[in-house]
Amino acid sequence: MLSLLVSRGLQSALIVALVVTFSFLLIHSAPGDPFAGALDNPRVNPAIRANLRAQYGLDRPLPEQYVKYVAQLARGNLGWSFSRGRSVRAVLGDVLPRTLLLMATALVASFLIGVGVATVQVSRRGSALDGFLDRASLFLASMPDFWLAILILLAFSYWIPFFSIGGAVDPVVHDMLPPYARFFDSLWHLILPAVTLTLLYASGIARFQRGALLDVMPLDFIRTARSKGLRERQILLHHAMRNALLTLITLIGLSFPALLTGAVFIEKVFAWPGMGLAMVGAIGARDYPLVIGCVIVGSVLVVLGSLLADLLYRWADPRLRQL
Amino acid sequence: MRKAAAALLLLTAACAGGDNTSPALGGGTLVIATGGDPNSLLPPLVGTTQGRQVTDLVYDRLASLGDSLNTLGDGGFIPQLAQSWTWAHDSLSIAFHLNPRAKWHDGVPVTSSDVRFTLGAYRDSSLQSTAAALISSIDSVSAPDSVTAVVWFHSRAPEQFYNATDQMSIIPEHIWKKIPIASWRSSDQANHPIGSGQFRFASWKQGESVTLVADTGNYRGRPKLDRIIWSIAPDFNAALARFLGGETDFFEAIRADAVAQAQSNPNLKLVAFQGIDYSFLQFNLRDPRNPAKPNRLFADRELRRALTMAVDRNSIVRSVYDSLAEPALAGSLRAYPTADRSVPPIPFDIAAAGAKLDSLGWRDSNGDSIREKNGHDLAFNILVPSSSKARTRMAVLIQEQLRRVGVTVGIEPVEFPVFSDRSDKSDYDAEINSIHADPSPSGARQDWATAGIKGGNNTGSYSNPVFDALVDSATAAYDPAARNTLFRKAYRVINDDAPAIWLAEPKAMVGVQRRIHVTGLRPDAWWQHIADWWIPAKERIARDASGAVTTDPAKKNP
Repeated sequence: MLSLLVSRGLQSALIVALVVTFSFLLIHSAPGDPFAGALDNPRVNPAIRANLRAQYGLDRPLPEQYVKYVAQLARGNLGWSFSRGRSVRAVLGDVLPRTLLLMATALVASFLIGVGVATVQVSRRGSALDGFLDRASLFLASMPDFWLAILILLAFSYWIPFFSIGGAVDPVVHDMLPPYARFFDSLWHLILPAVTLTLLYASGIARFQRGALLDVMPLDFIRTARSKGLRERQILLHHAMRNALLTLITLIGLSFPALLTGAVFIEKVFAWPGMGLAMVGAIGARDYPLVIGCVIVGSVLVVLGSLLADLLYRWADPRLRQL
Repeated sequence: MRKAAAALLLLTAACAGGDNTSPALGGGTLVIATGGDPNSLLPPLVGTTQGRQVTDLVYDRLASLGDSLNTLGDGGFIPQLAQSWTWAHDSLSIAFHLNPRAKWHDGVPVTSSDVRFTLGAYRDSSLQSTAAALISSIDSVSAPDSVTAVVWFHSRAPEQFYNATDQMSIIPEHIWKKIPIASWRSSDQANHPIGSGQFRFASWKQGESVTLVADTGNYRGRPKLDRIIWSIAPDFNAALARFLGGETDFFEAIRADAVAQAQSNPNLKLVAFQGIDYSFLQFNLRDPRNPAKPNRLFADRELRRALTMAVDRNSIVRSVYDSLAEPALAGSLRAYPTADRSVPPIPFDIAAAGAKLDSLGWRDSNGDSIREKNGHDLAFNILVPSSSKARTRMAVLIQEQLRRVGVTVGIEPVEFPVFSDRSDKSDYDAEINSIHADPSPSGARQDWATAGIKGGNNTGSYSNPVFDALVDSATAAYDPAARNTLFRKAYRVINDDAPAIWLAEPKAMVGVQRRIHVTGLRPDAWWQHIADWWIPAKERIARDASGAVTTDPAKKNP
């Protein structure tokens, strides 16, 4: 186990280093002025923008900028966000917990719902309910995430004004509330973006899990269980489900990058002030340090997701522990 | 349900001990929908509109520009920290007499030493303040006593008062002298401003909101609102939905395509006022690949005039803005006292445009509907920022109108940072640009005169010594009548030279919930009189309950 962790740790560090290098080169190669969008004062002319570029060292050759960036990164300094006027670490400290909250909520809910739907479909295989859930999950899985988000926002915030239109809290009253009411305020604002993200991923998980269960159901050990007189529900939940877990674990590993990407669109539409929204803004503003900071955090999350999936594989499948 | 939830939350807040009793003089909360965070809350570093909105309300100047936007002398200026001022006989200094009741929000009195300190801060090279160049005419500030700040100038100039007052927000010396100036930008203090304005800073949650509360003991009087909240929503449609749904009270940039939706809502009203933006199709008079060479097309004044004649600017403005804009004036704005509406624009006349192009040798000799000369098609590209729907639509309309006279136009929509970068480098044939103009008409020197080609905004490299001389003379004129005459002559010159096709001067249009009573929207800064906006007590809703704060130690904060 230790050797696995060391080996995966080294691989992960290499992946993150490559991600940093490529993202640094890509974002610096993109055309555009980092100080164009941030300064809309009519008297801020190109000369002043040139001075600002020089102040941040952006007038230096790219290799020199890269070496400087890596050196400061090695000291744990992610740099200074031009567009937000704060250190990248402080910005990420604000936005990352919100994205993690959104992702974690959606991850747990989508797996619970996805697995539940798949189980119902397999237990009622060939029924009208199975057909309906199949078409519904296909419909949701094929919906563009930003489109579904806009529809849900319009439906439940504007046409039927049930939820707040965007944001992580109610900026008007939140600070005046006692702690328990702040919690409910945050929860109230979390519902729509989390439901959107959950619907998108639960549908995919349901389809994968249904396929995995259907693959398992004709196998010999299931037939043996049936011949022993076990009830169908028991067979499905205790025997088939456990053997179909490997697909689920694969999906957990894959869901981190997918959820991160989805969160970008969801955060934009629901004005959820998380890392996705920060990254979109940073790309538009050519805020190089913040873009790279977000990419680093994103890549670390993906690497951790992959590592978690590997560990879960070993836990779920005894054959892998022998390797 | 949402309103019930909000009311329940407010009730919870009240039960938790908040004081919802509004003071007799004012009350209410204004929630402003905005598209982004301020770039900074420290005045010398502020570069965005959001930053200006907040800092203009938290900090004071010595005096502020009046609604007439007069920048000449001190006419129309509104006293802020300086309750009066005295000009020296030679105009080389102005003694500002500070209001002795003025206090910082931490209760410390504002003194002339703060004014001197502020000048030093704006000038310090480590801050790279964008306003440093604007106060270069100031030599120094002396402080003969605690309430008199004497501003000394290198030489007298018509706009010296404007530069000494409106360009600098005064910051507290006792706070900032403790922090090395090189660390100001990254200091925690920069995000927790202490000013002397009628509103004091309460909180800034990045990506969410900025909140100011009324300073009830302020020396300039208590604002009529208790609280202002900028609610941040980067997505335009989400921000609009919040406004239409009543979650925000003020929407500062209603676009033409959203007007009908806002008008149909009985709780909302739209207020149009004179803005200071104008857009134009700018020709690059130099070769974008080799700026040392003239542009093969647009260096020719007569070709530019012919192309202008072929574009129906009135119909473009109507199509894109409906009634929310007027055709732009040449190099000027209607809000300027120097504006001259009698300058006849180059007329829209397709037949005359065609004849002029023929006479210039641009003819369709091969029957492909495109004019050629010396083997080259009459073709060029227009650079537009893809984020601007209005400019993109104008580009499409111009493309179609020029096609009718045998000109091929390509459209290059690019992201705004790319647009700005290429514009700065003059890397375009033609661009549709928009200027949020300076309150002073002398900004034309940076935008259109030869002086603005290097380091200014004249990226199209238009240069005419007559125009330069007229603008320089107008900028140096003290007599308003003479100044107007000179500027108007300059506008006629630039109109005739057609370095750009003058497109639209949009009216500024804001949307407001009906319960908010708005007074005075200054063309360049609608928020300047926000302390006078009010909400009648009987029209207040749940979110109007809040607490204002006082700097007056004699009064207890609620």
